[in-house]
Amino acid sequence: MGYALIISEVRRGVFEERNLDAIGIANLAGKDAYLLIPEGNYNINGNMVDKIIKVKTEESMFLNPLIITGLITKIMDSSASPEMVIFTHSSSGIEMASYLAGKMGLPIITDISGYEKNGDIFFKSYYSDKVFGQFKKTKESPLILTVRSGSFKDFATDKGKQAEETTVEGLSGIEERSFIEYVEEEKTGVDITKAEFLLSLGRGVGNKDEIPKFEELAQLLKATISGSRPVVDKQWLPKERQVGTSGKTVKPKVYLAMGISGAFQHIAGMKDSECIIAVNKDPEAPIFQYAHYGIVGDANKIRDKLKDIIQGG
Amino acid sequence: MQDEAASRVLVCIQCGKCTGGCPESGRTPFNIRMLVRKRQFNYAIDESMPWYCTACNACTIRCPRDVKPSEMIIEIRSSLVENGDIPLAIQKALENTFVQKNPWGKPRSKRGEWVEKLDFKVPHISETKHKRLLFLCCVHAYDPRCMIIPVNVAQLLNKAGYEFGILGEEECCCGNEIRRIGELGLFEELMEENKANFKEYGVEEIIALSPHCMNTLKNEYGDMGIKVMHYTEVLSNLIKEGLLKPEKTFEKELIYHDPCFLGKQNKIFEQPREILNNINNVKLKEFSRSREISLCCEGGGGRMFFEVEAQYKRNSETRVEEAQEKGAEVITTACPFCVMTLEEKAVEKGLAVKELSEILMEVI
Amino acid sequence: MDILVFVKRVAATQEEELRIIDDGKNIDLSKIPFKMNDWDNYAVEEAVKIVEGKGGSVTAISIGSGESDEVLRRAIAMGSKDGILIESNETIHDPALRALAIYNFIKKENMQFDAIFTGVQSEDDQFAATGGFLAGKMGLSYASMVIGIDAIENGYFVLRRELEGGLQERIKIKTPCVLSIQSGINEPRYVSIMGIRKASKVERKIMKFNDYAGSGDAVIDLIRWSYPEKKGGATMLTGEVDAQCKELLEILKNKGVC
Repeated sequence: MGYALIISEVRRGVFEERNLDAIGIANLAGKDAYLLIPEGNYNINGNMVDKIIKVKTEESMFLNPLIITGLITKIMDSSASPEMVIFTHSSSGIEMASYLAGKMGLPIITDISGYEKNGDIFFKSYYSDKVFGQFKKTKESPLILTVRSGSFKDFATDKGKQAEETTVEGLSGIEERSFIEYVEEEKTGVDITKAEFLLSLGRGVGNKDEIPKFEELAQLLKATISGSRPVVDKQWLPKERQVGTSGKTVKPKVYLAMGISGAFQHIAGMKDSECIIAVNKDPEAPIFQYAHYGIVGDANKIRDKLKDIIQGG
Repeated sequence: MQDEAASRVLVCIQCGKCTGGCPESGRTPFNIRMLVRKRQFNYAIDESMPWYCTACNACTIRCPRDVKPSEMIIEIRSSLVENGDIPLAIQKALENTFVQKNPWGKPRSKRGEWVEKLDFKVPHISETKHKRLLFLCCVHAYDPRCMIIPVNVAQLLNKAGYEFGILGEEECCCGNEIRRIGELGLFEELMEENKANFKEYGVEEIIALSPHCMNTLKNEYGDMGIKVMHYTEVLSNLIKEGLLKPEKTFEKELIYHDPCFLGKQNKIFEQPREILNNINNVKLKEFSRSREISLCCEGGGGRMFFEVEAQYKRNSETRVEEAQEKGAEVITTACPFCVMTLEEKAVEKGLAVKELSEILMEVI
Repeated sequence: MDILVFVKRVAATQEEELRIIDDGKNIDLSKIPFKMNDWDNYAVEEAVKIVEGKGGSVTAISIGSGESDEVLRRAIAMGSKDGILIESNETIHDPALRALAIYNFIKKENMQFDAIFTGVQSEDDQFAATGGFLAGKMGLSYASMVIGIDAIENGYFVLRRELEGGLQERIKIKTPCVLSIQSGINEPRYVSIMGIRKASKVERKIMKFNDYAGSGDAVIDLIRWSYPEKKGGATMLTGEVDAQCKELLEILKNKGVC
C-alpha cells in the first residue's frame, strides 16, 4: 500500500479543520496518510494518520508554493514517492498544488468532492456544482489533488494507534517570494459581500423597531445584517446593506433570510450563497424555491426563540 | 458632438418649465434646468446626477423651445457609458442584456416559458396567418409578478378569436431602457436583431404588452412598415366590436394611473379608460395628476435596475396615498414597471394594484 | 511593464440548467450564450490599470475556438494593446495541457513580459490550476488569489493574497512572475458596444494550438459527466418553534458559521 502526502494547513497556531478532508480522501483511497506540518504546538489527533512529518520551519513557509514545492521534491527524492499529494482546496492549497504540478509535470485534479474507489475516479465540480466531471489520471505517476472542505472529513477516522513522527529540516526563505505579514481585511464600514454569514431582513419583520432585536441576534450568531430593497427603502437599514440587483450580490456560506419573500431582483443577488435558509410566514413565498432549508413561521417569533435558546444554552 | 445631438441646449431660455414638471424635482438633488445650463456652458456635471432621471419625458413635452432635455440626459449618460464610468447596478444590467438579451440576465432560452401557463397553444409568428406579433417584454417574460400579464392578454385575445403569434426565445429586449441608459451601441444591436426577426417572419402588426416596448418599437426603430400598438388599444377595439364582453360586475372602487410611456409620451389616454368604464358598476376615479400630467412612478430610464443615492419619499407612495384619500381600493394601470413600483407601497397601506388585464380577467 | 493576460470565453450558465447528453459524454451548451470569464475580466482590468499608471503594454491571449475572438475584442476595448488567439476547437479539460501549450507558445514566439496574469479560475471548469502550473513549468515565481497590488517596486510586486475569513497575507514577489487575480480586486470598467466595435479594428493574431501542444497527451481524462445529488427544493424544518429553532442552530453549526 502506497502513501498519500498531505500538506496540512495551519493558520496562526491553529491546525485547520479542513485538513480532515485531505486525511479522509487518503483513507478512502486506501493510502497511508503522511501528514506534513510545520513544527509547532498544533492540536492534532495523532491517531488519524500514519505518520507525521514535522518540518523545522515557520508557519509562513507553508504559505509559500515555491518553498513547499522544494520541500516536497526533497521528500520525494529521499524516500519512496507518494501516490498522492493532497492539499485542501483553499487559497493556499490551490496555489501550492498547481505550482507543484507544473514544476514536476504531474497530473492535477482540483476541488475534489467525490470519489469512486472502483476505477479510482474523482468527481470535480463544473459550473458552480451544476454538473460534475469524473476524472481519472492517465499516467502512472503521483497524482496531485485539492479537496473540497467538508467532503471527506467523515472518513478521517481514528486508526487506533499513534502516528509515527519524524522531523525534517526546513528550507530557508527565498528571494523570489517572501512573506511580509498577515493582514486583517480593512473594515471601513460594512461590506456585506465579504461576510460569511448574513442575516438578511425583509419587509416581513414588520417595522423599524424590530431591527435592533435582529441586531442582537446577529451579534449572538456572529452574523452580519443585510436586507432587501423595501427594508432599505424605508431606511430601516442603510443602503450599503442591500442585497439584490439594485444593491449588492452576495455569496456567503450561509444566507439566513428572515421575512423576505424573494422578489426575483432579490434572488438574483443571493442565489449563489452556499446555504440559504428562509424563514417566512407565507409557505408559497418564492424564496423557498431557492432555499436549502425553510421554516414557515413569523420571523420575529423565530428570532426571539433563537435568542432564548442561545442565551439559555 | 453637439452637432449630432438631438437635444438643443443652446436655445434654452432657462424658463424652468422642465424643472416644474420633473417628478424628481425638489425631493432629490436632481435639477434638470440646472443641468441644461451646465451643458450650455460645458460645465462639469456631478456623475451621480443624470441617473436620477426616470425618462418620463415631462420636461421635453413641457419645453416651449423644444430643447429636449430628456435627450440631453441620454447624451450625458452615453458619454459616461463610453467612458465605462457608470453605477455598478446599471453596468450589470447592461452586461446582462449583452449576454442574455434581458437586463436581469435570465436565460434567453426561458423567455417563452410563460406559455406553459396557458391551456391552449400560442403559435410561433411564422405559423400565423395575420402575422400579428405579441411582443412580450423582458419583465413579462421573467418577473413572477408580471408573468400573469401576458397570460391574461393571450387568453383575452384568444377568447375574442383574435389571431396572434410570438417569437418565443427569439425575441430580445426591445432596448427602450437600454437607450435611455445611454448604451446606444447596445440599443442598436438589440434593434437590429429584433428587426431582422420581424422581417424574416413578415410581421405586419405588433401588439406590445409594455408601453416601454411600444414606445421604442413605434418611435425609435425607424419606419418598419409595421403597425405598433399597445395591447389596450387592441382590447378596447375588441370590446367595442362586441368580441369581448365584460359581463360580471367589478365591486371595488377603482382608480387608474397613466403610465408615462403610454400616456404623456404616446397619448394613449382613452383606450384604457374605455375598457375600464365598460365594466359594470365601475365609476373610474381619477388622480388629481392624471393624463398628460400623471405623476411618474419612477420605474423608467433605468431606475428599475438601480437605486439613486438620495433617500426620499417615493412618488409611488404619494400616489398610493392619493388613491387612498380618493377612496380607491384598487389602483389599476397598464405598465409592468408601474405595477411593480406602485404595488410595493400599496401593499403596505392595504391597497391592491391590479394590472388592467387582471381586472378584465375578473369580469370576463 | 509588459503584461500578458490570459482570457477565456466561457458559457454563461449561472441562470441555466445544464443538460448532460450523449450518454454522459457531453454537456449541451448549444443554447447558452458565452462571455468573458469573470476572473479574467478582473485580471485584464488590473493589468490595464497598472499599464495606465506605469506605462508598458497589455497583450490579451485566449485559447479557444474562433469565437473566443470576442473576448479578445473586449480585452482590447478595456485597454489591451493587442490580442492573440491560440485556436483550438477541442475543449481542453486538463490544466496541464493548457499550461504546457502556453509554455511552448511563450518560448517559441519569444514573448517578452514582466508579468503574466490569469484569473484565479474559470467559471466553467473551476480548476484554478493553469496559472500555477505555468509558473511551475517556467520556473517563475507565483501567487494566486491576488486581491490587492500595494506597490510595484523595481523588480518586485508587493501584494496581498486572500486567505480565508477576512485574513490576507502580504508578500513580496519578484518579477517576472505569474499572478492569478481574484475577483473583487478592482471594479472592471464597463465596455460599451461602441468600444468593442472600435476594438475590432485592432488586428488580432491567430495561432494554432496544435503548434504548441507538444506531445498533446492529457495526463488526466474526463471520462463522464454526472449531476449533483438532487436537492429538491427546501428541506422544511417542521414541528414546534422550539424544535425548528434548535434544528436551525444545528445547521448553522454544521456549516461552520457559528
